[in-house]
Formats: sequence, structure tokens, C-alpha cells
Amino acid sequence: MDPILSVQELSVEYATRRGALRAARDVSFDVESGETVAIIGESGSGKTTLAVALVRLLPRNARVSAGAIRFTRDGITRDVLRLDDEELREFRWRECALVFQSALNAFNPVIDIWSQFLDTARAHGMKDTKAVRDRSFELLDLVHLDPERVLRAYPHELSGGMRQRVLIALGLLLHPALLILDEPTTALDILTQRAIIDLLRELRTKLGFSMLFISHDLSLAAELADRVVTMYAGRAVERAGVEDLFYRPRHPYSIGLLRAVPRVTGALGSVASIPGSPPDLISPPPGCPYHPRCPLAIDACLAAVPPLLPVDMPRHDAACIRWQEVARTIGTAERHVAEKLA
Amino acid sequence: MSVTPAEVRLAARLGPREVFGAFWTHPVLRAALKAILTIWVTTTLTFFLIRLMPGSPVDLKIDELMQTSNGALTYDDARAIASGLFSIDLNAPLHEQYLSFMGNVLHGNLGNSFLSAGTSVTSIILAVLPWTLFAVGTGLLLSFSVGIALGLLAAYRRNSFFDRLVTTGGSVVSSIPNYLLALMIVVILGSQLRLIPIAQMRGAFSPGMHPGFTLDFIGDIFYHASLPITIFFLTQLGNWILSMRSATLAALDEDYVVAARARGLTDGRITTAYVGRNAILPLVTQFAIATGFVLGGAVVIEQIFVYEGIGLRLLAAINQRDYPLVQGILLITTTAVVIANLAADLLYGRLDPRIGRAGGATG
Repeated sequence: MDPILSVQELSVEYATRRGALRAARDVSFDVESGETVAIIGESGSGKTTLAVALVRLLPRNARVSAGAIRFTRDGITRDVLRLDDEELREFRWRECALVFQSALNAFNPVIDIWSQFLDTARAHGMKDTKAVRDRSFELLDLVHLDPERVLRAYPHELSGGMRQRVLIALGLLLHPALLILDEPTTALDILTQRAIIDLLRELRTKLGFSMLFISHDLSLAAELADRVVTMYAGRAVERAGVEDLFYRPRHPYSIGLLRAVPRVTGALGSVASIPGSPPDLISPPPGCPYHPRCPLAIDACLAAVPPLLPVDMPRHDAACIRWQEVARTIGTAERHVAEKLA
Repeated sequence: MSVTPAEVRLAARLGPREVFGAFWTHPVLRAALKAILTIWVTTTLTFFLIRLMPGSPVDLKIDELMQTSNGALTYDDARAIASGLFSIDLNAPLHEQYLSFMGNVLHGNLGNSFLSAGTSVTSIILAVLPWTLFAVGTGLLLSFSVGIALGLLAAYRRNSFFDRLVTTGGSVVSSIPNYLLALMIVVILGSQLRLIPIAQMRGAFSPGMHPGFTLDFIGDIFYHASLPITIFFLTQLGNWILSMRSATLAALDEDYVVAARARGLTDGRITTAYVGRNAILPLVTQFAIATGFVLGGAVVIEQIFVYEGIGLRLLAAINQRDYPLVQGILLITTTAVVIANLAADLLYGRLDPRIGRAGGATG
């Protein structure tokens, strides 16, 4: 069966005064039906650019310079980059809904929530107001909100956590096959984050949609994702099943990210940040973009950009010519990376 | 938050301070109270300021009588005649005059004009005010709607030829003072090129026209008002274009507009309910402020085109020190501007739910 979403060699460029800023380079990954894929990386690694590029909502100064985005549902495959304006409008939200990072600002402040549900439904040809109302009630119930009260409210009358739930409910209004969540919990406090993550798991089980979860927070990704893509400097540097990535990473950058997360059981001081800062995306360093910060870098790393190639695990790829060295220190045991390196 | 009759009764029992407090916490009542206060302060200031102008109406009348009689009247004769013409005792102490004036105003009586003896100020205002409201209102609404449409379009096509044309054109026309533009029309188009029959267009309507809801009459009043309307339209237009353009650009960058696109809404719906609706909010307040400016500007513009409006009358009344008429006209125009502001405030609360809904939870 074809994956729901198949992204191939996607590159996105921003036109800036200093020249083209390549925010995403040759990114490839698939999302299978019912699967949750997490994309993780630091700020500026191209995660959000990727998310908005998937529904072609890039700002005016950005464009997709290469690649393909294929979306398959009910056996019909469509090339998202080739949709005309009207097809694209119909594609958005019906096939693929995007839950924004700032649900706080994702709602029009001057119209009530019900109108925003109705607007969305009408734009996609649902003329039966009663049916829209029933569906909205059902979804708001599912996200544990009081539909009566919420639909009558204006956005500013709801708390941040409530708005994020409303946005998730709105995202599911048209039964999309894929929900893209761009840092859906970043603006929320830790307890609300927890509640949103639990909610997403619950909804996924009940409704069976696929998710693309974009986050800098590895622990959240670990809870939700089936597969993880690590991004660095606009490139996918590692693709793996979630357990593989957490216990058996094969790219030094993934290891760096894992070590940067504090653990309840870990010793104080076991948290290590990655030295240096992400590279300039207009004129990146030669060869592997991570080599200036990489403890394993050798001269050969500067020679060419390492391709994303299979490593010693099934369905696991890493873009590192030294992955075997990484494998030797990390091994295959189910223990946290930080403990293995301690 | 709403004040029920029961609460008002309760408040009344608690004394004036509590009543005032009850009014003050209710957004609509508070706005109304502020409006009344503004009108009172302006009226009071006007009353005293016009009496500070050199020369009283009696002095001016004496001069006039002595000149027209070619020396037949002595100063004392002229003074006696002149004083007899005025129904108000100008020799009474100022505070007494003020109190009697305010008392009359509260009874809806604006007094009689000094110079057109026996004619009430109210009837004069009623005869000229509609023409000014018509010209100012039409000009303002026209510039507002055209300006908003052009500003929105310019923002959508930012940096295009159309955008540059509209924004540059708008700012150039708006930066010319309205009286200069009016004079240019009179001098260049009217006197020199003789393209516009300036003299014919004077007044509010052609002599011999019978007021009424006939097509002829409506056409005629538009013909006579067309020059003032053009001036109000042109001088306000650029302001609306530029304000709407920048408000639209800001709205277009908002997350909720991007989110609306992600939701697959049609461009039409996004433009009206998401971009336009939010962009227009700050302009509502500006519109109220503009009403005041344009009404003030009408004094000069009506003078230039000799349009029979309230501005033309005001200037004549000032020149003749016709105190009751000046007071009456300024009271009415102040009230008009204050009401426009009040309406804008209330409308704003309706348009933007974040600004306390009257009776709502967030008031």
C-alpha cells in the first residue's frame, strides 16, 4: 500500500538580501497510513518550513525549488505541487489539516468559534448547518470541552490549552487523512502539554488518522511517534523507528539531541548541550553541515555531503559516513544513550 | 455588568456618588456621560471665547447705522437704536448671561439671532445644517468606501504598478490643503478655463427649485454640492487608502489569515471576514475623528464655493458678532462630532468582541 504522504527530495528556498536561503534540502520521508511520524530538530532546522511547504502555505519570499509531495488517499495519488489553486484549496484541511504552533492566534479574533467551524465546513461544500453543528459537538466532546459554551465563545474568551483543543477539533472536522501538528504544545504549560499529548493519542486510536508531529521536544516525540526524522540545517540526517532512534541512534546529531534532554533518573550533570550553533543556511560549511560541531568529525567529513543511507538496523537510515563508529560506542542495547556514554 | 432598573433604584437610595458610580461602570452609560460632559465644556468655552472677541454686536451695529445714515445719526442715537434691536441684555454681568443661556439651552431654546431680528437660531440652523451634513456626509462616506476598496486592493497587490499609483496619488492629493485645492478649482477650472460654471453652482440648490423627493431636485442638490463633495472626497481619500493599505498588510501577516488559508476557505471569504473585517477596525475610530475635521473644514470650503451650509452661516455670524447664532451653530456641530465619536465607540465594541461587549462577561 502506498504511504499517505510521500515527500521526495524536497527543497525550499527563501529569497533574502544575501542570496537564497535553503531552509530545506533534499528532504525525503514517508508517512504510512495510521502512522505518526515526528520531525525533530533545533530551532532553525527547517521543521516549520517543511510543515507549511506540505500544504503550500509558504510565505511570499519562499518557494519549493525541487522535489515532490505525493498524497495518496483511497488509491488516488496526487502531486500536491501540481494542484491548481482551486484543487489546492479543496485539498487543504479536507485531506491534510495543519494544527499551528500558536493556536492562540490561529482564530479570527472578531468572529465566534462556531462561525469559524461553519466557515471551514462551508468552504468544503458542507451546506447542512445541522450536520456541521452535530459534527462540531461530537468533536468538541472528543477533545473534552463543553461544545455549547465553546462554540458561542470568541477566541479571546478561551485559555491557551482550550484553544489548542478547539484547533485540534477543528482540524478533524472534515475527516482528514493526515494531521500535521507544528509544535502543538510549545506555547502551553507542562500539565496542559501532557493533556494535549494524551488527547492526541486517544483521538488517534478512536479516529485512525495519520500524524506528522513537528517538535523540538524529544520526550513528546517519543510518546507519540512511530517513526522519527531528525533534521539538521534543512536536511533529514536520520530516519528511524522511535525505539531505534532513542536507543540506537546512528547520527552524532541525534545523540547530541538525546543527551540534551534531562531525565528524571539521570545524574545531575548528565545533561550536555551541543557546542556551537547551527550553520548559516545561505553559505553552509562544506561537506557534512554538522562537522563543525561533531566530536567524531574527520577530514573526510568535509569532502562531500553524506547521503542518507541504510545502517545496521532495518528501516533505519543515517547521513553520516562514521555511523559505524557511532554504532560501536552506542551498540544495540535498550538503554538510554546518555547512560551508554557515561 | 448591565445595570438593571432595580440596581438603579438601589443606587438612588445610596446617594449621588453611588448613582454616578453605577453610571460610570456601565460602558454605554459612561460613554454617554462623557459625551454630555464634552458638549458642556465646549459650549461653555465657546460662550466665553466669543465674548472675548474685540467689538460687541452693538458696536458693530452702531458703526453700520452711522455709516448707512451718512452722518444723519449721532453716536447716541445710533446706540439707542442698536440696543433696542437686541433682545439680550449685553450689559448684564457675564455669569448671569451664561446662566440664562445654559438654562435656555437645557429647554431646547437657542435664542434669537441678533441680526435677523425675530428669527430663531434653531430655524436658521435647521435651514442650513442639512446641506452641510449632506455635502460632508456624502464626501466622507464616498472617500471612506472608495479609499478602503483601493487600500485593500493596493495591499493585495503590494509593490505593483497599481499599488504605487494609488499610494503616491493618494498621498499627493491628501497633502494639498483642502482650501488650496478648492481655490485651484475656482480659479483654474472656473475663472480661467471656464470649464465649470462656478457662479451657477453657488447655493444649495437652484432658485425656483421646489424641494421634494423628485429626481430633478435630487439631481440639482448633487449638482450644487458636487464641488464641496469633490473637495471633501479628494482630501480625505489618500488618508483612507494609506490607512487601509497598512492595516490590510498587517492583517495579511496575521496567523489567523494563514490558518484560514490552511483551512481551505475561499479567497472571497478570507478577504472580507478575515482580512477586511480586522483591517477596518482601527479605521472606525479614524472615521469619527475625520468627521470633526471635515465639519471644521467645511467653514472654509463653503465660503470658497458659496455653498449655503452651516459653515458659510457661521463665518457671517462671527463677522457680525451674532453671539446666539455662533453659540448655536457651534453647539450643534460639537454635538454632531461628539455623537459621531460616540457612535464609533459603540460600533467598535460591536465590531471587535475583545473591546467589552456591553453586558458581556468581559466588559
